[in-house]
Amino acid sequence: MFRPFADWLGDTPLSKALQDQAWVVPTSQSIHILAVSIVFGSACMINLRLLGVGRSGRSVSQLSNTLVPWMWRALAVLLFTGLIQTVTEPVRQFVTPMFWTKMLMIIVVTSMTALYAKAVRSNAAAWDAASSRPSRAKAFAVLSTLLWLAIIVCGRFIGYTWSFYA
Amino acid sequence: MSVDALLAVIEAWPISAAMRGEMPGTEWLFPIVETLHVMALTIVVGSIAMVDLRLLGIASHNTAVSRLSNEVLPWTWTAWSVAAVFGTLMFMAKAATYAGNLQFQLKFVCMGLAAVNMLAFHFGAYRQVARWDAGVPPTSAKLAGALSLSLWIGVVFFGRWVGFTT
Repeated sequence: MFRPFADWLGDTPLSKALQDQAWVVPTSQSIHILAVSIVFGSACMINLRLLGVGRSGRSVSQLSNTLVPWMWRALAVLLFTGLIQTVTEPVRQFVTPMFWTKMLMIIVVTSMTALYAKAVRSNAAAWDAASSRPSRAKAFAVLSTLLWLAIIVCGRFIGYTWSFYA
Repeated sequence: MSVDALLAVIEAWPISAAMRGEMPGTEWLFPIVETLHVMALTIVVGSIAMVDLRLLGIASHNTAVSRLSNEVLPWTWTAWSVAAVFGTLMFMAKAATYAGNLQFQLKFVCMGLAAVNMLAFHFGAYRQVARWDAGVPPTSAKLAGALSLSLWIGVVFFGRWVGFTT
């Protein structure tokens, strides 16, 4: 059902203009990977601390207050570069379930992260001490890490699977 | 043995053939290895960026440089080792093609310069880190941060470009 829309989008002057510039997609993808590094690197640092893995350093609230704003900035970059890639190659994105699975997981994990950041802001002391940390903290850390890993898998596999569906 | 002969020997190894998908059941090996390489490199770049941005005075102002480094850099090294293992496997698939690829060569020039920069920083400005640990890093440290960030951005760009030029 998305195929007619993809075909229409791919025929628009904007899409045609972007397709004519061979550097657009590789450049956009490179910036996309750099932004993934900020988001996934930050998520891992926070989640490892919630799980108590690795050298102790900053507290959970210090880490979250520093890194979560960077995650939102990087996600804005990801949205922009992702849009450029989608407008340039709409069929490649819309035909494969990898793309839609990725989008769904992004909605879930960003919502989870927003709720987590709000919970830490409202009660930093409880989250900072392992003894008083809410029991759902570890579940959040494991689920968030798994979702980001699955998002990276789907993102990379869009390029390897779309031709089967096109 | 000449370099060309060595590259040909590497390409003839069974594991290299498997990476090219030429062995039964290995059709998806390259995409899987590439995805694992991407996961590891995002941790490398994300964690290095945290330290570089602190040196530049852009992020983590309230964390001492030494504390941040101790917390983050063990993960950088672990992830770099993982990325190197999977990167080597990818190289083996088409050793001669990659070795002769300009973007591939530039990627390793950037990584080599990043290593030199890191050593110069470690045995230079960082030796007196106690003097500026909690405050504003000296110009030489800021320069090291800017160089490191630029070179790793170069590694990601050239790395992504290898896939478009081989």
